[in-house]
Amino acid sequence: MKMKLGLAGAFLALGIAATAHGDAETAAWAPETFTLDNGMEVVVLPDHRAPVVTHMVWYKVGAVDEAQGKSGIAHLFEHVMFTETDDLPPGEFDSIISRNGGQLNAFTSWDYTAYFERVAVDRLELMMELEAERMTDLIINDDPEGPFISERDVVKEERRQRVENNPGSLLFEQVMAALYEGHPYSIPVIGFMDEVSALTPQDGLDFYTTWYAPEHAILIVAGDVTGEDVLTLAEKTYGQIPASGIERPDRGWGPVADLTESETIVYSDPKVRQPEWDRYYISTSYRQDADLAYALAVGLDAMGGGLTSPLYQALVEEQKIAVSASAWNFFSLHDRGLAGLSASPAPGTDLDTLEAAVMGEIASILEAGLSEEDISRSGRLLAASAIYGLDSQSAMANTYGRALSTGASIEDVMEAPERFRAVTAEQANAALRALFVEDQHHITARLLPEEGL
Amino acid sequence: MLKRNWATGCAAVLALGLSACGGGSSATDVDATSTLDVNVHEGDFAQIASFTTPGGVSVWLVDEPSIPIVSFQVAWPGGRSADPEGLEGLSQALVYMMNEGAGELPSLEFTRAMEDQAMSFGCSNGRTWTSCSASMLSESAEESMELVALAMSEPRFDEQPFERFRREQDVSLARRETNAGFLGNEALQAALYPDHPFARNVTAESLEALTREAIATQKDAVMVKEGMIVTAVGDISPEEFAPLIDSVLAGLPETGSVADVAPVEMSDPTAAPIVVDLPQPQSRVSFMAKGPSRDDPDFYPSVVLNYTLGGGGFESRLMQELRVDRGLTYGVGTSLSGAPLFSTWSGGGQTKNESTGEFIEVLKSILAEMSETGVTEAELSDAKAYLTGSYPLSFDSNSKIAGNMMSVRQQGLGIAHFDQRNAKIEAVTLDDVKRVAETYLSPENFTFAVVGQPEGL
Repeated sequence: MKMKLGLAGAFLALGIAATAHGDAETAAWAPETFTLDNGMEVVVLPDHRAPVVTHMVWYKVGAVDEAQGKSGIAHLFEHVMFTETDDLPPGEFDSIISRNGGQLNAFTSWDYTAYFERVAVDRLELMMELEAERMTDLIINDDPEGPFISERDVVKEERRQRVENNPGSLLFEQVMAALYEGHPYSIPVIGFMDEVSALTPQDGLDFYTTWYAPEHAILIVAGDVTGEDVLTLAEKTYGQIPASGIERPDRGWGPVADLTESETIVYSDPKVRQPEWDRYYISTSYRQDADLAYALAVGLDAMGGGLTSPLYQALVEEQKIAVSASAWNFFSLHDRGLAGLSASPAPGTDLDTLEAAVMGEIASILEAGLSEEDISRSGRLLAASAIYGLDSQSAMANTYGRALSTGASIEDVMEAPERFRAVTAEQANAALRALFVEDQHHITARLLPEEGL
Repeated sequence: MLKRNWATGCAAVLALGLSACGGGSSATDVDATSTLDVNVHEGDFAQIASFTTPGGVSVWLVDEPSIPIVSFQVAWPGGRSADPEGLEGLSQALVYMMNEGAGELPSLEFTRAMEDQAMSFGCSNGRTWTSCSASMLSESAEESMELVALAMSEPRFDEQPFERFRREQDVSLARRETNAGFLGNEALQAALYPDHPFARNVTAESLEALTREAIATQKDAVMVKEGMIVTAVGDISPEEFAPLIDSVLAGLPETGSVADVAPVEMSDPTAAPIVVDLPQPQSRVSFMAKGPSRDDPDFYPSVVLNYTLGGGGFESRLMQELRVDRGLTYGVGTSLSGAPLFSTWSGGGQTKNESTGEFIEVLKSILAEMSETGVTEAELSDAKAYLTGSYPLSFDSNSKIAGNMMSVRQQGLGIAHFDQRNAKIEAVTLDDVKRVAETYLSPENFTFAVVGQPEGL
């Protein structure tokens, strides 16, 4: 083990200080960063209000990395990470943490998989030992009646609960398939039922040995610690793991393509009582084009982000043909993300009328252009939400983890409030007009009650 | 625009004869320091300042300077169950309307004014409490509190937002027809306490009967100084906060009228599960029995027992058996309400229709085993270790501290509760747990409701 504290850390800290963020929202949680010898990144977010920490390990692997026909393996594997290791018999991982007053969980997305524990600060080293243990010494039991198989059944129940019991989720799967044809974002993170049913312990082992290694992981510790505390403990635990040296496979897909035609997907279900209308556009992400993403995020918020927005005011308050109407973005992805419009009709309004009214309102907002006042209000509100976010230790850890694992930097996170505030009306209007231009293709989703209802 | 707000809000407060309305410059001009008697409780988890303001508002405050935010909550006894018969939804309409315009600012202008301060203010309610909360940036706390004061003293209750409330409620009524959670709860209500106010739901007829006049009357019945409690956390001292909160609340009526609600007397449990048909592949199973009230000596032994039964995530017997060993569910859990008016022991989980029979059978066998033998020594010590060791995690953010303080105040547990709670957990013995397991956990005590298309029942 060699201390490599780093110059990387010191320079980064200087870099941050030099970027003139004297604002309170960035000073409160000034992060410290290091890289261990094995390539594992470390981010420390000191918060001394309570003697507790949020300890997270983010792996830069997710559902996009699944082999053809193996949908759901990234997520099922996340479940399997809680079963057993060389040193920890079945169930012991969770038991040890619980007996130490810790809470734990994990989550999987397209671009990342994250594991976390929340615990009293004097147990931080134990959490690191446990996470380091399962980074290298996981046992995947291949007993056909064993824990891999019962966990697969659990995931199938999870899919029923999240997706198959929910008509809106079933429709969303079809929408994503149409939006991202040829790109892995088209495949649901939880996987297709038939493919999940066919996953084997060998699939789990393959996934583990290919992707789980310190050089593909980011450690985030938020809470009652200093950078020095964390570095010492991280070197003792994660620092003992050699880099795997395994080349990550070529992800094997190209950039997200523009849509070549517009399509409307209709889904009817006897459980639907309230119709919903959504229109989705392939757009950008903070990673792909930050300037455009910030301009659009602020512009979409000013156009339809809240109760005072012109879209909501026109459809809900004035015309009274909708009970909700909004414009939104999903830009926290590695590849191109989505922008969209959503509305739910007032009783007695059909979706044709609603769609025409929404698009008519968008056209008139764009024609008039959003004012400098509208844009600066949205910019300030989005920046302020970063200040309110400072209250939650786990939210802060999540914000940095998600950003870093989708290709952004520490500075990108710290600069976000300022970038929201810096968007001008000219930039926002130009970005919105390019997004909603007449011949832009889109996918429209209509969720409807069963015929005849 | 803010100048105008202030003038309006201030006039209203002055009209009530209060001195807390600080001139045109700053609410902190009022000299509260000489009169404010602040008790500081040096607790293990938070240093809580308690005081009564010159305007008669009882406050618990944690001064937390590290983040430039101020948040407060105010709560009054009386919630949804206080709705007059036939006007179900009235108190929901009240809380909806509280941030929909005040003084000379109609809904849109009021919301804009809140946005200009990057603040939030809104109200909500439960069965027996109504509350409002606000969060603001400390640099603009005074301007933000002016808006809250205006909302509390001169809500407009305009026709436009009231109609919008009704449209949204119409949609909610339609949505709940296929909402498994609502349907399961409705089935348990009908089986166990059909005539109690807690079993009354909003209907199309009760929505139709609501008026703006009734909302204004309900506000004066509920949002009054008697019984009102306030908690706050933020970058602010008691001396700074007192005049601000007085400008918001000191002008409320002294007393109101909220009908007392009798405790729920649950009917005998139903032997067979109640099935509500809903076309979906997975069934939602919920179950409910009587539990101990939080002022009952059985309560803390039950908290410890519940961890091992179904409160402790993967460690609970229900999760071990139904999820880890059998793969029958993504999640199953139990909880205690502890509410003196309606103390229950309840739980729920979801499983595919085909395995619903097995799911309930195994669940009942776990209940039966625990009611007969209690828990093991190791389970008891694991439960205590988690419950006491994880308690500090409930105090790591301003919003959690504010919420916990409010909950302690609503339950009347006293300012030292946070410091005493772990000792109460530690004091629980194996015999205590065995006693409460016998008293409460027999499977015959529980009524089951299943929503879906279950098989094998």
